[in-house]
Amino acid sequence: MDSEPTPTSDQAADQPAPLLSVRNLERIYRLGEQTIHALEPLNLDIHKGDFIAIAGPSGSGKSTLLQLLGLVDSPTTGEVRIKDRAAHDLGNEQRAALRLRTLGFVFQAFNLLQMLTARQNVEIALALAGCPRRKRRKRAEALLASVGLAQRLEHRPLQLSGGERQRVAIARALANDPDVILADEPTGNLDSQTGFEIVRLLEDLNRAGQTIVMVTHNLEIARRASRLFLMRDGSMREVDPADPQALD
Amino acid sequence: MLTLAIQQLMTKKLRSALTVLGFGVCVNLYIVVTTVMRFITDDLDLQVQRFTGVLFVQSRGLAGMSGIEWPPISSTISNDEATAVMSLSAVDPDRSTRVAFAALAPPPYPTAPPEALLVGIEPGKEDIFLGGAGAAAGRADFPKRRESDPDAEWQLPPAILGVLAARHFASAASATTEVPSPVGPIALAAIGSTVSVRGKEFEVQGVIEPETNQLLRSAVLVPLDDAQAVLQSQNSVSAMLISPRRASDIEPLQSEIESDHQELMVISDKQLAENARKLLDRVNQLFNVVRWTSVSVAALLIAIVMFVSVLERTRELGTLRAIGAPRGSLLTLILSESAGFAVAGSAVGVPMSRVVIRQALGPDAAGLRSREIEFGAAGVLSVCSMLAALMPAWRAVQVDPVIALRYE
Repeated sequence: MDSEPTPTSDQAADQPAPLLSVRNLERIYRLGEQTIHALEPLNLDIHKGDFIAIAGPSGSGKSTLLQLLGLVDSPTTGEVRIKDRAAHDLGNEQRAALRLRTLGFVFQAFNLLQMLTARQNVEIALALAGCPRRKRRKRAEALLASVGLAQRLEHRPLQLSGGERQRVAIARALANDPDVILADEPTGNLDSQTGFEIVRLLEDLNRAGQTIVMVTHNLEIARRASRLFLMRDGSMREVDPADPQALD
Repeated sequence: MLTLAIQQLMTKKLRSALTVLGFGVCVNLYIVVTTVMRFITDDLDLQVQRFTGVLFVQSRGLAGMSGIEWPPISSTISNDEATAVMSLSAVDPDRSTRVAFAALAPPPYPTAPPEALLVGIEPGKEDIFLGGAGAAAGRADFPKRRESDPDAEWQLPPAILGVLAARHFASAASATTEVPSPVGPIALAAIGSTVSVRGKEFEVQGVIEPETNQLLRSAVLVPLDDAQAVLQSQNSVSAMLISPRRASDIEPLQSEIESDHQELMVISDKQLAENARKLLDRVNQLFNVVRWTSVSVAALLIAIVMFVSVLERTRELGTLRAIGAPRGSLLTLILSESAGFAVAGSAVGVPMSRVVIRQALGPDAAGLRSREIEFGAAGVLSVCSMLAALMPAWRAVQVDPVIALRYE
């Protein structure tokens, strides 16, 4: 395993401060006497407007990295900074508050609340942030319209196709105008055509200025990102997504 | 979160309905038991108050040893002994009477007197027993015998009935009348009708006003001689109601009777109250077990249902945590659902209890409905259930948000 910090992409001196950065981030799991190095120490800077794909086979550590970036897990060592503020050592409630305001999650299994309509699923994220009832209804409708679901507002997840469910999940992730969207295998549960539609939607969002970090094992989808990181055995390296040799 | 809580309750319709029903049954049970407890307590208080300033003299029979038997149906005092007591100088003979008691029907519930209680009393002294209670219909005293011949027999001896006794005798009375009640119209033996008490016929002269106490509502008040004839015990009575000439004589008189007549026991109004309290303590212990069982069952029901709900929704709760829900929101979510069960359960249980009380107590249910008891029951059960729901709620807030990111 490569224990050296991986190179970062923030060499350019004129780059503004990263939205999200990690330094010497390492995650070790201990199961009894067994020690698993899920993530070797790594560095990464994510700037506003980045569309980052993290690709790799199962067990390579990409989901662990996403959990650490998303503040749902704590690193064994190293630090996570969001907008130059140390976030790795915050308490559970402070991290939840930070997730609510600055991060949007898109899950592989959509993770919509089954008993709520599409509109209510988006509204719940707004409600958690304290958005007034009338305002959140309008915002939820606008967000769902922006992902092409204006006609599906009152449908429940079971009445929607997989692609539509993921669009609802994306609308929910966008609800509180997050700095970064973290997408965990967003196409993993979709057929290839629907998967590409979702990626196109993410691309549209990115073109509109949204910062996105996407974890995927699908290299074809991964190379559509503006920056591509490959992971293997807990180590990560950045490659040029336009270079066909890089993925070999 | 409130929307989510409501949607959760609506989605699991059968589970929610059964939980609400279960909670409602517990609320109903708590209200019914509390109402009956209050009814019995108030009624015994009223019975005791009726005999303020009066000494109850009864024999030291087996049942009477503890002084708890009320009224003293199994007590027996010979006429000679009764006459001797009545002739004591401190006794006010105009406000004292010999009484014969006999059960004509079993009691409707523990601590209650028999549903129909024969009370033989000396004519002209009815008010010593009635304690000022009037008649709802007819008269509350025995009519005079024929003016021309005071010693002549009545054509039929008179009977003054309490409401419960009038209802008890309605089926066998020569005429009935219908009166409204909380359970709809009920038939009572009519004024002027004839009722048969153990084969001897009486003419109903009056019905005692119902707003009294269970003793008077059950009473079949007849002249003492006729009661003795019915009971075939012309030489004895059950008890005596003794009033002293002066209030200050009450304790000396009690001592005098007990020292001169070892086989008699004298119960003052204070001892009567004490006996009533002992009786109530025993009954209330049982009722309290039922009440707190209903509270425990309701709390356990909510705790179990919410635990299952939290376990089923681990991923959902993890997702909420992952997207930034604070612990307080999840706590609110689970407690809102519990509160929903409690509110809906109370809304079911309160009307259910009104029906049960009406059906169980019949005409006695009049005026028993108490908002204080209803709100109290709903409040106690809801608070206990919410406390029980804190355990699953705590479990909910402990859900790791990583669960949301796991794909299975």
